[in-house]
Amino acid sequence: MITRRTALLSGIGAAAAAASPAFGQARPREVRVGVATDVLTLDPANHRNRDTQNVIRNIHDGLLTRDADMAIRNEIAESWRQVDARTYEFRIRPGIRFHSGDMLSAEDIKFTFDRLVKPNAMGGQTSPRQGLLGPLEDTVVVDERTVRMVLREPWPILPAMLPFQEVVNRRHVERVGQEGMQSRPDGCGPFRLAEWRRGEAIILERFAEYYGGSPEIPPAGPAQVDRAIFRVIPENSSRIAALLAGEVDIVSELPASAMRQVEASRTAQVMRVNGTRTFFVAINNAKPPFTDLRVRRALNHALDKGAIISRILNNTATPLRGVMSPDAFAFNPDLPEYAHDVARARALLAEAGVPEGTEMVIDTVAALRELAEAIAALLSRTGLRVRAQVWEGAVLTPMWQTPERRRERDMFLTSWGNGALDPSDIMVPTLRTGGRGNTAGFSNAEVDRLLDAAETEVNPDTRARMYREAQRIVTEQAPWIFLWLPQDIYGVSRRIANWRPQADSRINLHRVRLAG
Amino acid sequence: MTASRLVERLLQTLPVLFGISVIVFLMITLTPGDPVEIMLADSRATPEQAEQLRRDLGLHLPLHERFLVFLGNAVTGDFGVSFFHRRPVIEVILERLPATIELTLAAMLLALAVAIPLGVAAAVKRDTWLDRALSAASLFGVSLPGFWFGILLILLFSVTLGLFPVGGRTPFDLEVARVSGFLLVDTLLAGRLDAFAAALRHLALPAVTLGLPTAALLARVVRSSMAEVLTSDYVLFAEAKGISRARVLLRHALKNALIPVVTVAAIETGSLLGGNMIVETVFGWPGLGRLVVESIFARNYPLVQAAVLLYAVTYVTLNFLADVAYTALNPKVRL
Repeated sequence: MITRRTALLSGIGAAAAAASPAFGQARPREVRVGVATDVLTLDPANHRNRDTQNVIRNIHDGLLTRDADMAIRNEIAESWRQVDARTYEFRIRPGIRFHSGDMLSAEDIKFTFDRLVKPNAMGGQTSPRQGLLGPLEDTVVVDERTVRMVLREPWPILPAMLPFQEVVNRRHVERVGQEGMQSRPDGCGPFRLAEWRRGEAIILERFAEYYGGSPEIPPAGPAQVDRAIFRVIPENSSRIAALLAGEVDIVSELPASAMRQVEASRTAQVMRVNGTRTFFVAINNAKPPFTDLRVRRALNHALDKGAIISRILNNTATPLRGVMSPDAFAFNPDLPEYAHDVARARALLAEAGVPEGTEMVIDTVAALRELAEAIAALLSRTGLRVRAQVWEGAVLTPMWQTPERRRERDMFLTSWGNGALDPSDIMVPTLRTGGRGNTAGFSNAEVDRLLDAAETEVNPDTRARMYREAQRIVTEQAPWIFLWLPQDIYGVSRRIANWRPQADSRINLHRVRLAG
Repeated sequence: MTASRLVERLLQTLPVLFGISVIVFLMITLTPGDPVEIMLADSRATPEQAEQLRRDLGLHLPLHERFLVFLGNAVTGDFGVSFFHRRPVIEVILERLPATIELTLAAMLLALAVAIPLGVAAAVKRDTWLDRALSAASLFGVSLPGFWFGILLILLFSVTLGLFPVGGRTPFDLEVARVSGFLLVDTLLAGRLDAFAAALRHLALPAVTLGLPTAALLARVVRSSMAEVLTSDYVLFAEAKGISRARVLLRHALKNALIPVVTVAAIETGSLLGGNMIVETVFGWPGLGRLVVESIFARNYPLVQAAVLLYAVTYVTLNFLADVAYTALNPKVRL
């Protein structure tokens, strides 16, 4: 039997459950999510912000979506096929209604994608999401329920990128204009906007005439709850307190240090999922002594990743031998490993003629300071003198962007997101010669050739082979110190059923049920 | 105090405001970090798109031209468009400002309500255990870090006891028409006592977190000022005349002792307005402070400039009002 005393002893959260039903239980069919920042806008075409997208995606649906296992599923599209290397055709589900009552047609699909990719199509501005659709040139209406997307050049990851784009109502945009779109959405998703209390909360209510979403992800049909609320609580500790007090049901970005507190609470639990962001230390490949492959390999051997993952990251990260997430398309599971071996690292450094006591600096931002310092300390065991230097993000990112500006820098602890879970979305920018995120300044003719060929290769097996080969070369050339893939950690109330976190960090509330 | 003196005193604030606007403009603009690069970080924007964005934001102009544009517009109340909201700055600020003012005033009222009785008590019982205990308590209060104290309050009163909500400004099932933006006022205007009570409960913990350190500071001011007044001749005379102790304290001593308190309280109100971003962050309070911090990190120049200028104007105004109040309370002092 649980007495009041043991409940109190077992943690403040349990105590909250025992002593204070006041805030927790008087709201049967409402799910609340605690988020760190308010949305910037409710216009699906006018932002590049993940938290913003999380809210918008509950109001709007896309042509395609992903299930919790990251498989690509039809949503507004009933079916699709690739006509040729540069053309995709989508057949739209009949009877889809927007919140305003308007029926969705192929015209809305064309309007949505034109607004995203055509220059100045957004009231004179160009959508900041244009780049997410690569070489999409035009969207053509074939008939009432069919559209074709025409690409300038083959781009096999189009289906993987479409879940990021939400369909808007053409007539609504014409009615409310560019300004109105910022705060008055008209989607066809499971929830409609009830109220946006800026800086405080977004309140959504169930859309009864929802067509049901992807039938491939059960249960289809209108949302299971009456209201969904995204509540802004910027401070981590306050967000956790709100979860433990029963004021919110789901919190994202739970710090690893709070996992035990949440698990001990009885009212909430911890849920984890592999994220999509690869962490690495970019080594300045153009600067001696890092031009020497032996030095780059020595740094990889020198680092005890396991120690950092277990002691600092509370075992909430998966170590990587290369660039790709194990969940991604074309992940190469057979990469060679730079085993932790300080003696080997010392020998390689000596071979390369790097004297003991050589000073090196790892640049990073304040949020990663602890990790950078741990990495520096572990690398210093080789006799090098490595230290971490913390910069403000606004200064650091540009500093590493071009070869001239980073000429004097050594190493850069950073990360790259790969929401599409496809090598094209991470290897091309970070490892192709001149890529916009190629902070290491890595350049390898064979890798460039493979990445370019894979970019336009239509056969998925051939594409995967090319990417696996490119991953092997990259790992062997060690342009980075390969680190890990952090898990996304969520605190979830035990009254929430039928929800789990997914790798793309979407918080989809359509199918959430409340237990009890 | 004549009206012309008042106007003259007001005009003296203009150079101060101009100086501040120069400093604000230069500091944020010269801080390393390019808003365009931040906005396009991780995106696939081409250099042409970046250039287009730079033009859209008016950042292609040379520094001095940008300053003149800023100044010219600022005089007419136009502070430009917030980079990441893509809406007029003034609109974004006005949306958040009432929440901040409401919290600040609540904290200041609370601080005065706590500080005056305690300060008077400490002065009257000078050098007793009460005086020393209050002095220790106020030292503790002044040293309290807001983020730590706020979270402790949340853990005790929200999580464990369930008496107050963890954060936010109102419950979600509560809708009150926005008239002034001040929830306590709007709920009363709407005649909704339940909503008023709910708003008050949301306000309680943030106001305590923000108000207590101020209370501690003010209590020390009240104590020393009161202690000084209590030894003055007119108080001794009043007591010698046989006027009751309470009457001497409240009517004769306190009125005079409050003069420095008014000054400190006015200036502190200015600091609270500008300095409550930590409390706003801890309690998820949708105020201006949080917005400004986010804007600094994103190099959202127009918003930071407008907000800092607003803080400066408020501070200068409060100082001015304190001076005016000072002369009203103490006829010996002239502007």
